[in-house]
Amino acid sequence: MKNQEEFQPKGTVAILVVFVITLIVLWGTIYLTLLQRGGTV
Amino acid sequence: MTAQTYSLSPKEKSFVSWHLLVAMVALALGTLFGPLQAFEHAGLNLYPFLQPLIKSYYQGLTLHGVLNALVWTTFFITGFLTFNVIYGLKRPLRYPTLNQVGFWLMIVGLVMAAIPILLNKASVLYTFYPPMKAHWAYYVGLTLVVVGSWVEGYGFYFTYAAWRKENPGERTPFIAFASVLTMVLWQIATLGVAVEMLTMLIPWSLGLIETVDPQLARTYFWFTGHPLVYFWLLPAYISWYAMLPKQVGGKMFSDSLARLAFWLFLLLSVPLGFHHQYVDPGVPAGWKFVHAVLTFSVFFPSLLTAFTVIASLEYGARKNGGTGLFRWVLALPWRDPSVAAQLLAGLLFFFGGIGGLANAAYNVNLELHNTTFVPGHFHLTVATGVTLTFMGVSYWLVPYLTGKKLWKPDLARWQAWLWFIGMIIFSNAMHVLGILGAPRRTPLGDAPYVPAEWNSRLLQVGIGGGILFISAILYFAVMIGTAFSKVKVEKEVEVPVAEALQPVSQTPAWLDRWAPWVYAALALIVIAYGPQLYEQIRNISLTSPGFRVW
Amino acid sequence: MSTTSLHVHPYEKRWIIFSIVLLIVFTAAVAIAAFALGIQVPSPEQRVDPRTVAVDPNSPWSNPGLREIAPGRYEAYILAQTWQFQPREIRVPVGSRVTFYVTSKDVQHTFKIQDTNINVQVVPGQVSKLTVTFKKPGTYPFICSEYCGVGHAGMFGQIIVTP
Ligand code: HEM
Ligand SMILES: [Cu+2]
Repeated sequence: MKNQEEFQPKGTVAILVVFVITLIVLWGTIYLTLLQRGGTV
Repeated sequence: MTAQTYSLSPKEKSFVSWHLLVAMVALALGTLFGPLQAFEHAGLNLYPFLQPLIKSYYQGLTLHGVLNALVWTTFFITGFLTFNVIYGLKRPLRYPTLNQVGFWLMIVGLVMAAIPILLNKASVLYTFYPPMKAHWAYYVGLTLVVVGSWVEGYGFYFTYAAWRKENPGERTPFIAFASVLTMVLWQIATLGVAVEMLTMLIPWSLGLIETVDPQLARTYFWFTGHPLVYFWLLPAYISWYAMLPKQVGGKMFSDSLARLAFWLFLLLSVPLGFHHQYVDPGVPAGWKFVHAVLTFSVFFPSLLTAFTVIASLEYGARKNGGTGLFRWVLALPWRDPSVAAQLLAGLLFFFGGIGGLANAAYNVNLELHNTTFVPGHFHLTVATGVTLTFMGVSYWLVPYLTGKKLWKPDLARWQAWLWFIGMIIFSNAMHVLGILGAPRRTPLGDAPYVPAEWNSRLLQVGIGGGILFISAILYFAVMIGTAFSKVKVEKEVEVPVAEALQPVSQTPAWLDRWAPWVYAALALIVIAYGPQLYEQIRNISLTSPGFRVW
Repeated sequence: MSTTSLHVHPYEKRWIIFSIVLLIVFTAAVAIAAFALGIQVPSPEQRVDPRTVAVDPNSPWSNPGLREIAPGRYEAYILAQTWQFQPREIRVPVGSRVTFYVTSKDVQHTFKIQDTNINVQVVPGQVSKLTVTFKKPGTYPFICSEYCGVGHAGMFGQIIVTP
């Protein structure tokens, strides 16, 4: 049986990099909106 | 290794089919209201035409939430899990009558809950927050649905125990393992809502007690409410981990990590319900923060899932000749509607995850709580990640169960793409509106405070809803067409169960042992919920009489 | 080969480490906003009896509205009920710091002030408390965003921040 190690899932890593960038941008936008709307205590 | 073939008996097939049939009828009625709501937001109010059958937007919204989020999911899932347990263990149910009793309890409960909703006596939405008070049959009916699903779960446990005895020392086949685990998670999770029903809502709706404590009721409800979403999600993950790789000609990238992810879900998915109560007045901020940290940690097994599932797909695509960093994606069998539906579901689920991470981020919830961002989010998760995956599963499972060829696979493929496109338009607009402050659970076409800058987005909600409506029609057309088709499959449909890249015998034994994980899960619940539950129950203030406000 | 150790592909190992770091960073960002910048979620404030809260003369919600407690410092007692807030309109000068105390005399509501971070569930029997400083003049609608019955869509009011 082919060893798992021989298979290098480079495409998977590429997709996940795109995902993480999207995640940081979208989440960051929402987070900055929160900061801009100010404190609550 | 040769996969043994095993087949469900005709009786078993029909038992599973009944689950799917009820699920699909619920979805057909439930999704009908989705576009109506979306059109209403866009300024096209069709509710006057539904009189006197449907009396208000909210009677419709109650139907939409209950039939889609509770009935479609629960019936499809119990059916699919039943299939997985039998097929995975390659043995019949130990006590089929027990499972039948469970199923009939669910049906009785469903009918009981449906009657008051249809009579407009339970327009309290699927979250039924007291002190809004519905007819008692609504609460009793929903409780029976849950109890019925428990009974079906007991049937799984007996079957699994029998298999264990017959196969000592063997690793539990993944799909059976994951299905039993999903059921365990569900049974722990639903304790919250069971207590809410039995100690408050049912006696109250029957007139045995006058008043309830709405804050404590919320705490009970969300004890169940969050893990509920994992009950929806894990069956989709079962398909993504173990079935989809086979459908694309690949293998499961890692059997061990798949199991580890499922254990982490069991461990972490319950003790974080306060993330639905971040802006509740009656829960201390400190405990909310503890649950926020736990919520972030349950994101971890989903990130793990993303890697393992995509790697399994990539393995298949490269074997089919796929090349390049991204181009291999095109080598996946997109023409197979079951594959297309699940890939598109998974793709949108990414964005559902991002929105979830925003909702769940403690104070960020101040920005998003009860805005249209929230339905925008869960139409990517439960209404796409889960629902479109289940649709994809049904594209092979229904032919397997009925022995009929899938009717017009081209339409089925269109269905998946239209759901994908409609949902992008719909959900994007809902997210943006939410950040702008638009409230959910509101017929916005009627709201006096809607500023003009929302209008273009509200229109997109309507357009997306229209496309989704067409997709839903195609889905039911394909299902009905298949059921009544005269074209039989040549030989029994092959059940797609992927082999693991590494032989399953190499999966460590501690990933196939139940007691430590279940005890750890219960312990974590006691730690994360115990002190607050004790505090809230000790200070219970039964001061709210019921209201009928619709 | 050992059957007790978990075998993980090196790529996936790195992804696991990265995922954990990412989640820690997000948690830290949230913690900073909460504990350093004062963007906090509500905590238990006070219990009331929803059956009497609007009529009991000792209850501030029997006479809901704005009270100035110091120059530029206000408390606003808001009563939520089907399907209106009392009061419906509040006027404060720009720069005012207002603490809201919101409760309901019937079902649940949500009190959300647009363009601010004030967004709390209003649960009968409980008091929801949050504070905001209005830095810019203008009209800030406050709306109900929890389903509270057929008239829910019309449940709103406004804060007018004068220059
Ligand atoms: C035809 C596709 C669909 C459309 C156009 C649609 C549209 C909508 C809209 C516009 C709302 C917001 C209503 C409001 O907040 O006032 C909504 C709520 C909801 N939808 Fe859908 N939906 C669809 C399918 C689904 C599916 C498949 C599910 C679940 C499996 C689902 C579950 C829900 C739930 C749980 C709610 C929240 C109900 C509540 O707030 O009580 N929807 N839907
Ligand atoms: Cu309200």
